[in-house]
Amino acid sequence: MLNATILGQVFVNGVSLSAIYILVALGFTLLFGIMRVVNFAHGEFAMLGAFALFYLMKTLEWHWAFALPVGVIGVAAASLVLEWLVFRWFYQRMFESMIGLLGLNMMMMFGAVQLWDVHERNIPTMSGDVLMMGDIIIPVDRLIVVIIALTALAGFYLFIRHTRAGLAMRAAAQDLETAETQGVDTRRTYKIAFFVAILLAALAGALWGQIYAVSPFLGERPLLMAFIVVILGGMGSIPGAALGGVLLGFTESFVGTFYGAAASAFLSFGVVILLLIVRPWGILGTPEN
Amino acid sequence: MSARKWIIALIATVALLGWPWLTEDKFLHHVGVLICLTSIAACSLHLIIRTGHVSLCHTAFMGFGAYGSVISVMQFGLPWPVGLLIGTALAAGVAAIIGPIVLRLTGKYFVLITFLMGEVVRMAIIENTAITGGSNGIFNVPPPFPFLTSNRAYYYFALAFAVFGVGLCARILTSEFGRAINAIREGERLAECSGVPVIRFKVIVFVIACALAGMTGSLQGHYIKFVGPDAYSGFQSLNLVVMNVIGGMTSLAGALIGTVFMVTLPELLRGYVNLQQIMFGAILFATMAFLPGGIIEAIRRIRALLKPSKPGLAT
Amino acid sequence: MTGLLSVERLSKNFGGLQAVSDLGFNVEAAEILGIIGPNGAGKTTAVNLVSGVIKPTTGTVTLNGKDVTGLAPHVLVESGLVRTFQATTVYADQTVRENLMRGAFRQIYPGLIATLLSTPAAREARVRADAHVDEVMRWLDLGRVADHVASSLPYGIQKVLGMGIGLAAEPRLIMLDEPAAGLSAEETDHVRDTIREVRKRGIAVVVIDHNMRFIADLCDRVLVMAQGRELAQGKPQEVLRNPQVIEAYLGKRYAQAQH
Repeated sequence: MLNATILGQVFVNGVSLSAIYILVALGFTLLFGIMRVVNFAHGEFAMLGAFALFYLMKTLEWHWAFALPVGVIGVAAASLVLEWLVFRWFYQRMFESMIGLLGLNMMMMFGAVQLWDVHERNIPTMSGDVLMMGDIIIPVDRLIVVIIALTALAGFYLFIRHTRAGLAMRAAAQDLETAETQGVDTRRTYKIAFFVAILLAALAGALWGQIYAVSPFLGERPLLMAFIVVILGGMGSIPGAALGGVLLGFTESFVGTFYGAAASAFLSFGVVILLLIVRPWGILGTPEN
Repeated sequence: MSARKWIIALIATVALLGWPWLTEDKFLHHVGVLICLTSIAACSLHLIIRTGHVSLCHTAFMGFGAYGSVISVMQFGLPWPVGLLIGTALAAGVAAIIGPIVLRLTGKYFVLITFLMGEVVRMAIIENTAITGGSNGIFNVPPPFPFLTSNRAYYYFALAFAVFGVGLCARILTSEFGRAINAIREGERLAECSGVPVIRFKVIVFVIACALAGMTGSLQGHYIKFVGPDAYSGFQSLNLVVMNVIGGMTSLAGALIGTVFMVTLPELLRGYVNLQQIMFGAILFATMAFLPGGIIEAIRRIRALLKPSKPGLAT
Repeated sequence: MTGLLSVERLSKNFGGLQAVSDLGFNVEAAEILGIIGPNGAGKTTAVNLVSGVIKPTTGTVTLNGKDVTGLAPHVLVESGLVRTFQATTVYADQTVRENLMRGAFRQIYPGLIATLLSTPAAREARVRADAHVDEVMRWLDLGRVADHVASSLPYGIQKVLGMGIGLAAEPRLIMLDEPAAGLSAEETDHVRDTIREVRKRGIAVVVIDHNMRFIADLCDRVLVMAQGRELAQGKPQEVLRNPQVIEAYLGKRYAQAQH
């Protein structure tokens, strides 16, 4: 069974899944690290990203190179309304945020059902072509997904490391009071962090919608995956999100292909449960006092 | 108890026992049964919340009780009381094993691990089709006793268990054990240095609460005549948490109020499932954002406005 | 040379960081031992090691002849060792009386079944605990604020209440972590007088502080720590003349304070 074609497929799957999981987890961990908010509604923003892409590509028939950035940025911009209406009541209130944003999750999910009903939709594929490298078959649309995701991750890295806004965010994540006394505008930093986090989630959702079907319930799995990745890597840790995403994506691809989806789920959950018991702050996180 | 409390208790008793005879509507009786059963689940979860831990796998323990009881009765032909005991013991046993491990985790980690564990249990139920009937569940579950034919009859049956279950929770919370639990929640280190064996007490509460959940699972399964994995999912556990949150997490009365609220509201909005969920979501958000103490806190604040007290004194 | 409390060669290594090394001291009944040192000297860690909050890497702690090394805090309370905390001293949202009732857990709690059934033994325990708490309130002059919520009290009184929670457990030895931190001169005097009262009742006291004058005035003996080690141990006057101690502290500041 271990021929090049299958392995190639598993690898490509692994990379695309990992990339998407990292995108979702990054946004999630940003919101936690900077605003101490556990965004139980994170998956819903992924869902919105998928619907945005669907609408632009299917109904308006835009090319994906336009539809993707416009759709994703549009979702992030529109979500700033939710930041003002909902999120800002929960900053630095972790427990309240968990349950309150759960409420938002329900509102968004069933609001979507109300607007768009439950049936599944398919986003037109970005490319029907296929790349052949010897025995290995790579669908081009998967390749595009990987390239876009990696580009976004690179962009994010540059942003967080080399811009003032990124520095402000890192400062706020480490020590809010000190950051404020150093002149960091908390409110503005939060808004930027929120925008970036939702942007990543919407992008992840749009790419997810390329691979899987789109429905109002699309957000459930990405949310679960975000949790697992962030626990694996360490809550609030950006390198942790990257590590966790890779681990989860490849595990799922490998175990899922050879042993089935259920086995993959049991394994992932089992490992995370074990980790929570012995090392709850994750592989790259730091123990809180 | 004061005379006023005796009168209230009397009226409540008469109301609880008498109302099913004021109507022949089987559906209303059904809602009554649901409120009784759900109140045991919500109140037992409340016990766990009072130790400072929010569990998102409480319905998984209902599942242990339900499947344990149903399988004992249908596969092994045991009488229902034995099935009830087996289901309850199974739930209590699992709680006793995992309790000492997971109760050492704080806040968000405990929420996450219980959520994941609940999902693992649900997936395990779905995978083991031979024993559990998989995702289809088990149908035609017999009632606990042959005389329990009508919803009204089941209501009194469920009421008896509810009085026991909720009463036990109330007794625990008002006892010296309850005082220690409050101390643990408000200042764990402080309590430990006053001699409170923190982990041991948390485990005791966890085991009792999960046992009550198991008991409820059995009662519910034999009432609905069906058990299936979806009734014991993380989402359903969440509903129990929501009941506690909306009613008010600081008192048992909050759990009861939340139960009545969450069980009856869908009935008022029947046919508008989406709107129900959206409304619940909105209430959840608004409660946590503006009134984290829930309905109970709202009542307290209204009372405080009506009779002002001297600053510094406890009201 | 064992006393009520005997600590020998106590050490704690946090994955490479040696927080406390080779600490040893004794405390007798009705004696006040002060532990003093600059910030980061390891004083609170030492108390955490003795009171069971952290497990020592090496060393022994003996209470009343019984080896209690590494036992959990609640077990130590059974043996009569109680400690207070620097930061969270009280249950902020509860009344003074309720705070003390929680401290009297050992006296009140009759066992799970007994308390659920409200047996005669349970009710007796409650009555005894009520009386005991009243007594503690009288002794600490908290009676007039018995029904006041802890967070509404002045900080100095809260610190005294924190001591009261510990004393409500009827200890033979109480360890006080910075009991006068953040208090005014008047409040500090009140705390000092209260601690003297505690000694009068035969209870041994270990006081941690970084205020040299407070410790020197109050304690029978002093243990000076720096960088996790003992710098000097003995009567306050001797220890203060120790050149190493003066060096570790801003000796000038103390000399000035002594006028």
